[in-house]
Amino acid sequence: MMLKPALKRVPENPMPQDLGVTEASSQARPAARGDKTFRWLSFSCSLMVPLVMLAIGLELLQASWPALKQFGWRFFFSTDWNPVLQHFGAATSIFGTVVSTLIAMVIAVPLSLAIALFLVELAPPRVSYIAGTLIELLAAVPSIIFGMWGLFVFAPFMSRCVQPLLGKTLGFLPLFQGPPMGIGMLTAGIILAFMVLPFISAIARDVFKLVPPVVKESAFGMGATTWEVTRKVTIPYGLVGIIGAVFLGLGRAMGETMAVTFVIGNAHRLSASLFAPGNTIASALANEFSEATEPLYISSLVALGLVLYLITYLVQVISQMLLRRMYRSWSVGL
Amino acid sequence: MKLRPATGRRLTNLAVSVWAGASALLGIVILFWILYIVVQRGLGALHLAFFTQLPTPPGMAGGGLANAIAGTLVLTAAATLIAVPVGLLAGVYLAEFSEDSKIGDYSRFSANVLMGMPSIIVGVFAYTLVVVPLGHFSGYAGTVALAILMLPVVARITEDMLRLVPNTLRESALALGAPRWKVTLAIVFRAAKGGLITGILLAVARVSGETAPLLFTALNSPYWFHTLGEPTPNLTVTIFNYAMSPYPDWQQQAWGASLLITLGVLLVTVLARFLVRERKA
Amino acid sequence: MPQTEERPAASLQVVGKTPFAAAQGETLIESATLLTRLGLTSKVASRHLNFFYGENQALFDNNLDIAEHRVTAIIGPSGCGKSTHLRIYNRIYELYRDQRATGEILLDGANILDPRYDIMELRRKVGMIFQKPTPFPMSVFDNVAYGLKLHYTMKKSEMADRVEEALSRAALWDEVKDFLNRPGTALSGGQQQRLCIARALAVEPEVLLMDEPTSAIDPIATSKIEELVHDLKGNYTIVIVTHNMQQAARISDFTAFFYQGHIIEFGETEEIFTKPAHKQTEDYITGRFG
Repeated sequence: MMLKPALKRVPENPMPQDLGVTEASSQARPAARGDKTFRWLSFSCSLMVPLVMLAIGLELLQASWPALKQFGWRFFFSTDWNPVLQHFGAATSIFGTVVSTLIAMVIAVPLSLAIALFLVELAPPRVSYIAGTLIELLAAVPSIIFGMWGLFVFAPFMSRCVQPLLGKTLGFLPLFQGPPMGIGMLTAGIILAFMVLPFISAIARDVFKLVPPVVKESAFGMGATTWEVTRKVTIPYGLVGIIGAVFLGLGRAMGETMAVTFVIGNAHRLSASLFAPGNTIASALANEFSEATEPLYISSLVALGLVLYLITYLVQVISQMLLRRMYRSWSVGL
Repeated sequence: MKLRPATGRRLTNLAVSVWAGASALLGIVILFWILYIVVQRGLGALHLAFFTQLPTPPGMAGGGLANAIAGTLVLTAAATLIAVPVGLLAGVYLAEFSEDSKIGDYSRFSANVLMGMPSIIVGVFAYTLVVVPLGHFSGYAGTVALAILMLPVVARITEDMLRLVPNTLRESALALGAPRWKVTLAIVFRAAKGGLITGILLAVARVSGETAPLLFTALNSPYWFHTLGEPTPNLTVTIFNYAMSPYPDWQQQAWGASLLITLGVLLVTVLARFLVRERKA
Repeated sequence: MPQTEERPAASLQVVGKTPFAAAQGETLIESATLLTRLGLTSKVASRHLNFFYGENQALFDNNLDIAEHRVTAIIGPSGCGKSTHLRIYNRIYELYRDQRATGEILLDGANILDPRYDIMELRRKVGMIFQKPTPFPMSVFDNVAYGLKLHYTMKKSEMADRVEEALSRAALWDEVKDFLNRPGTALSGGQQQRLCIARALAVEPEVLLMDEPTSAIDPIATSKIEELVHDLKGNYTIVIVTHNMQQAARISDFTAFFYQGHIIEFGETEEIFTKPAHKQTEDYITGRFG
C-alpha cells in the first residue's frame, strides 16, 4: 500500500512556448483554464474521501447519543444486553470482537508468512504463480459464502472432529471446556483466520519480493539457509510492510460481519471457553439492527457501531504511523 | 572458533520449508473445499425458474430469485456509476497534484482507513443518512453504502496505477505543449488503462458480494422492485435470510444463490487477472 | 562498438589457436602452466566450465586458475560473462532455477560443482562482495556478526572481538566503533561496502569474490577499497571483476580477459597491459571497444 516511496514530483519546467509569456497572460489561455478546472475537480473528489470518513464518525456519534446519554460510561463496561428491559451494555460484544480477532491473528499471521515464504522463496515459478493465484482467489470469496460454508459444513466438522480432540488433549484449560457444539468463538476465529489469510499473505509476498535480490544473494552468499535469510534479512527488511499487513488483517478480522454472524452463536454473554457461543460488535449489528424498533435499542446498536468505528480507526492510525516511521528508519541509503 | 554443526540448521530449514508448503496447501484446500460445497449444494437449485420467477412462500415448490438477481445487478451498477468517476478523479489528485499537500496526505490516509472500515459500519451510516430521513428502507440507501465502500478502493488503485506511469512519459507529453489535464486523460490514463480496468473490476466484484451494508439499507423483498426508492431484493441478504430459516427448500435456494454469487465474483476476479496477464504478455 | 558486431567469428578463430583449445585433452592449460612456472598454488581452478541461462550459453569452456594469496582481476566488455563466471565460484547462481553450469571448479582440488559438495561450507570458505553495498537491515554490529552466528558457536565476548577484528581488517573500525548499534543502512555508500567486506571477512573465508565492488561508490571510497584489497591479499585469495582497467592494473597480480563468454587471455597483469598476446585484448585495453 504505502510501501513505495512517493515518486519525485514532475518538474514543472516552463514549456517552450511559455517562455517569455507573463504569468497573467498564460493563465488566461484556455489550456491553463482547463488545467485549473481539472485540478479543482479532482481536488474536490479527493476531498470527498476524508469528508465521508468524518461524516460517518459524526453521524454515528449523533445517532448513538441517546444511548450514551442514558447509560454513560457504564455502556462500555456493562455485560447486560436486554432489549426487553431496555438495558444495554457493550462489554460482551467488545470482548467477543477482541477474542475472535485474537484467535484469527494467532492462526493467520504465522500461516500467511509461511505462505509468502513458500510463494517467493521455495516454490518453482509456475507452482508459485498458480498457488498464489488460488490463495488470492480465497480473498475474493464473499463473506456470506464463508458464512454458509461455516454454518453448514465447517461448524459440524469442528464439533465432530476438532473440538472433541481439543477437549481431550487441552481440556484441562478452561479455554477448551464445554460441549463441542461447533458454533462458537473458536469456530468464528478460525474462519476469520482463513478469511484474512490471503490479505496478509498477499502483502507479505509483495514485501518479500521487494527485498532487492542482491541483498538476499549476499545473505545466501554467506552460507545462510533459506530460513536463515528469511528470518534475519527478508523479514527485518520488510518489517514495515509485514506490520502493515498484520494490521490490515487485524482491521478486517474485527469488522468482518457475515461469516461471524453465521457461526458465532450470537449470545450476549462472556465465557472463558472458546467453545461457547458469543457475539461480536459486527455480528450483533447484523443480527439485531433490522429487528430493533425502540429508539433506545437502535441507538445502542449504533453506539456499538461507534465503538467499532473508533477501534478500526485507531488500528489504522497506528499501522500507518508505524509504516511511516519504520520506512524512514530503514530506507536510508537503500 | 568452534564451527556449528550444519545438521541442525539444515533440519530447521527443512522443517520450515515443509511448514510453508503445508500452509499454502491449506489455503488452497480451504478454497476448493468451499467451492466444492457451494457447487455440490447449489447446482440442484439452479433451474430455469430460479432465474425467471419470484420467490415462493416456504413449503410451496418452485419459485426463483429473479428479483434478487436483478436487484443485485442494479444496486452494484448504481454504486459503480457513483463511485468510479469520483474515485478516478480523487486518484488523479492523489497521484498527480498532491505533492506537498497536507490535504492530499489526509485524503490518502482517509482512503486507507476507509478501505479498512468494516462494511457493516458503512451500512449503519447509510441507515442513519438515508433510511432514517426517508422513513423506510430503500435501494438508494444500499447504493450509497456500496458506493462508499467502492470509492476509496477506486481512488487508491487509481493513484497506484498512475504512479506506475513513468514520469518521462508525462514530461515528454508536457514538453509537446499539451495541457496537464489532457496529458493525464489522454496519455497517463491510457498508459495505466490495464491496471485501472483490473482495479475497477476487482472493486465491483468485491462490492457485488457484500451483504452487511445491505442488511438494513436495501433490506430485501420477495417482490419485484420498480424504483430504488423501495426495499430492494438482492441475492446476498436473501442468502442470509433463507439460510437462517428452518425451511429446507429456502436453504436450497440459498445455496443456489451462493453458487451464483460465488461464480459471478470469482469469474470477474479471474477475468481481471487475465486482463493483467494479457497486458503484460 | 561497431567493431563488436563482426567479432564473433574472428574470436572463435583466435580462441581456436590458443592453448585453451588444446586444453580439451587436459594436456595444457595456460593459466595452470603459468602458475606452476611462477611457483604458485592454484586455489580455484575451473575446468571446461560452461554456463547456461536457460537455453542460452553464456560461458564456453572456461579454464582458469586463481593463484592463492594473489589478486586476480577479470576484465572484459559488459556482457562478456565475467560476473557470470564469478558467480559460479560460490554457486550463488543456483538461486535461479533456469541457470546451470557444467564442467568443474576445483577448490583446493575438490569439485565444488558436485552436488554433494556442502554449499554452506562452500559459501563460508568463499565470500562475496557485490556491485552495490548490501547492508542487512540490522545494526552495524549485527551485520558483521551475521555470518559468525550462522557458522560458529562462541561466547558474546569472543563475538565482540571477532567483530572488531573484522571491522579493523576492513579499515572501518575507527569510523564506526561509536556507532555499532546504528542500522548498517545509515552508513555512507563507501562505508557500507567496507561493512560488507568486514561481514565477509568475519567468517574467515579463504577466497574473496568481488563483483565490481566499486562501481556504485565515489572515487575516494573507491581508493580506500583498493588499498584494502592490497592489504588483504596476504591472507586471502581475491578475485575481482571490474570494468575499470586502471583499477585492474593497479590492484591485481593476474588478469584474465573475457570476451563473449570465452577466456581470451590470461597472464600476469603487467604482461597483459603492456604486451597483450591477442588482438582483442589489445583493442579492449587500449579502449577501442567495450
